[in-house]
Amino acid sequence: MRRALLAITGLAASTTALVVFKGSPGTSQVAQNLPTAQPVNPSGAGTDPGALADAPGTDPAGGTPTSSESAKPSTSPKPGKTTARPSGTRTTKAPSAPRTTTKAPQSTTRRVTGNGFENEYGYVQVQIVVSGNRIVEAVALSLPSGGESDIHSGDVRNRYDGRGGEVVQKQNGNLNTVSGATETSNSYKQSLRSAIEQAF
Amino acid sequence: MRATLTRPGLCRVEQIMGTAITLDLADDLPLATLRELADEVFAWMREVDARFSTYKPDSEVCRFDRGEVLLSEASADLRYVLETCADLWGATDGFFDAYATGRLDPSGYVKGWAAQVASDRLVAAGAVNHCVNAGGDVRVRGLSPSGEPWRIGIRHPWDAMAACLVLSGTDLAVATSGVYERGRHVLDPRRGAPASGLRSVTVVGTDLGVADAYATAALAMGTPGLNWLARLDDHTHAAITDNARQHHSVDLPLTD
Repeated sequence: MRRALLAITGLAASTTALVVFKGSPGTSQVAQNLPTAQPVNPSGAGTDPGALADAPGTDPAGGTPTSSESAKPSTSPKPGKTTARPSGTRTTKAPSAPRTTTKAPQSTTRRVTGNGFENEYGYVQVQIVVSGNRIVEAVALSLPSGGESDIHSGDVRNRYDGRGGEVVQKQNGNLNTVSGATETSNSYKQSLRSAIEQAF
Repeated sequence: MRATLTRPGLCRVEQIMGTAITLDLADDLPLATLRELADEVFAWMREVDARFSTYKPDSEVCRFDRGEVLLSEASADLRYVLETCADLWGATDGFFDAYATGRLDPSGYVKGWAAQVASDRLVAAGAVNHCVNAGGDVRVRGLSPSGEPWRIGIRHPWDAMAACLVLSGTDLAVATSGVYERGRHVLDPRRGAPASGLRSVTVVGTDLGVADAYATAALAMGTPGLNWLARLDDHTHAAITDNARQHHSVDLPLTD
């Protein structure tokens, strides 16, 4: 009984810990949020995450029903890797013996493309890269390119020649976070979710 | 893309205010303490959403706007927000206008203010190393989980997956207003028309609500906003024009 309890607790902890990525921040935010954001709410602006907790089939991650979080791992033996499967098809069979600290199979890398979703500003489609049973990357294949603001103002160009400014560059590298205009991420979430559902 | 399984602290994301709120607690505190702190932060953000959302007809802001709540009956928070919005209207030559759409909409201040309050409360509770990101408005304090100052990218206005500048610091409020996500939703309150000339404005200071309002105001000013930004005391900025030029203060806390 205790062993089963330990296994369930470990499973819950690692499932939440697994889905946290550090890296491309736009993707990581969504990726972190996804596994417990069970029912996709198409009109979900301002969705109360509390409502998501009641979703049927929520993974037995009982401790954190409304959010995903990564926590400092303790030294207690917990299953190292599990799938980020958001649905509850994997029940409490608790195969405790083999899943201690062994790494998940890293052999196969798959790319899975989510369904595309149209939103007010364009088309959003997400692809995930799965290694073994972990998501290692999420890439947006298509994002809206900028709505109305793609229209350049001829007036501004005439009045302002850009003197003193520099051409906008791209910079990457390790970032903890990203500051940007407020985005509504529902289409991204929907596409990412469909990719995950196909992958696992 | 590393799964960070060996870092101290806790990272949590929730969808509130129609956007993603990310809390990154970097202090090496007991897990129960970290969870309690995170619970309090998100409870506060949800409370602000319930009271200040212009999308919820029963929010205090909407009831106040309809005249169902008098100023004297309003909560201390609402009165504070209204007073601050009035101050910001003055400080921005009228370009930050909570009534720009014809009805009360203090959202341009509220999101940053709410995150700022959350960050202040974390400091008071002893969690001095953290990052709160409320839909792109960022408040960082102390050090990141790696023990280094926080690294904050400013989103590239034409490429959602890239940053165009990287800032670094231990006590920064970084707010960005841009037209790339929701189109030209920022109105020039003097003309009642969408602003033009600037695609994205980032303001860096120590109060996230004020930084957010300043960024929104400069965006509404259009290109003349560049000069206005340059005159701001105690704030630095980066702005990107519609023709893909970037301008920033010389003392912007840039890093490689």
